[in-house]
Amino acid sequence: MTNGDRRLGRAGKTIRVAVAVVGIGLLINGSARASDDAWPFGPMSQYAGSVADDAEVTFTRITAQTDAGTSVDVPLNIEGAGVARAEIEARTGEIVKNPALLQQVADGWAKKHPDQPKYLKLELIRDTTKLVGGRVVGPPTPEVLATWQVRR
Amino acid sequence: MTTVTEQPPSRAARIAGWFTPSIALARIAWLRTILYLFVILDMHAFVRDTRLKGEHPDLYQPLLLARIFHLPVPSVANTTALYVVLIVACLIGATNYFPRVAGWIVAPAFTWWVLIGMSDGKVDHDHLALVVALWVLPTVSGARRGASAYGDQTRSEAAGWAVRCVQISVIATYFLSWVAKVRSPGWKLLSWPNSAILTWAIVRRPHPVGEWLLLHPWLLQVMQWVGFVAEFLSPVILWLKGRWQLLGALFFIGFHVANTAILLIHFLPTVVCWLAFAPLERIVPFVRRKLHRDPGQAEDQAEDRGQAEQQAGA
Repeated sequence: MTNGDRRLGRAGKTIRVAVAVVGIGLLINGSARASDDAWPFGPMSQYAGSVADDAEVTFTRITAQTDAGTSVDVPLNIEGAGVARAEIEARTGEIVKNPALLQQVADGWAKKHPDQPKYLKLELIRDTTKLVGGRVVGPPTPEVLATWQVRR
Repeated sequence: MTTVTEQPPSRAARIAGWFTPSIALARIAWLRTILYLFVILDMHAFVRDTRLKGEHPDLYQPLLLARIFHLPVPSVANTTALYVVLIVACLIGATNYFPRVAGWIVAPAFTWWVLIGMSDGKVDHDHLALVVALWVLPTVSGARRGASAYGDQTRSEAAGWAVRCVQISVIATYFLSWVAKVRSPGWKLLSWPNSAILTWAIVRRPHPVGEWLLLHPWLLQVMQWVGFVAEFLSPVILWLKGRWQLLGALFFIGFHVANTAILLIHFLPTVVCWLAFAPLERIVPFVRRKLHRDPGQAEDQAEDRGQAEQQAGA
């Protein structure tokens, strides 16, 4: 049933082992010293953070006033406004400095949902939940970080 | 490394041998089909905003690799071209006709696809093994073409190296997650498992299972300890054999099921690469024994006949 093993030549084996060892080295180096920028050799830092049991947990969201007179939570995903919540959280500082970046949230929504009410004004809001002894106490406290009047 | 066969192999030869075990080419054929089709799924279900980033390049922040290779800023034209090329190459590669040519197109193209998808300030860590698999699969030559590839029992060290690289990448995903958990609090060993990280995660992504768990913080901490210890011990799986290795694999697949329930994070691009540990090359002989009682057609006639006689006598 077998046609005999296919063995590697000396060069082929040496190169392969070297590539594997260098790859492992790059991964270890990335995990020890690099940041996400070094993907795929960066650290596996998803949920690697250490959160104190009396920490304040923050959660960033965007609310919109619409031309239908309603106030809604902007769905931060690809199907909603075309931007993921994690992207907004990663760039909160930039948005606070330059709220015009929120324009593309309104544009994304309008483009994907042309028949739904348009966004007139966007607010970037941070909810803070307090932990005591590792337990959640009380409802979150909202804080408005940036406001943007949508350009039509 | 000595060529005299009577002597026991040197340490270097043993290490080289560990990286290049002889594995049947059929396993590569199965992995090609499964992983190239998975890439198509991935492009629509997981890293699915690459083309959208072509439409809105404002949030684009090129990652290191994109800067090193001066990759162009995503546009509608280049992300659409990338999409079409990937779909075509994946479909061809999955058939096991011209799998190396197709594979050498898929590897850089999908790496670029994921690089764009993660160039917005957020990087996921579930794609290491899949990307490595795509780069090593095309290095394996000498496979049969088309459907006959799935039953090819020819053992090859090149195939073994590719499989080993995928296995190492799967395990690295866990072990390096453990490293990150020790590094993140400033290289403190036990800070992470004792912290309120899962509570934090659930508060930020509330859902019914999580909200029930929030009432029992100790349970979340037990889960943290189980994950932390398992990630640290994960490299052992590379040296386990047979049933014990299967048990290790099942544990980590269960770990992902729990993560999906608690954190809504599935890690499927890593989970699918666990198949590199599975003896997929046994599928065709197994199915032949079970289904094909017609010995004239089966390649392994004698074995089939023996099996049939055994069953007749049973």
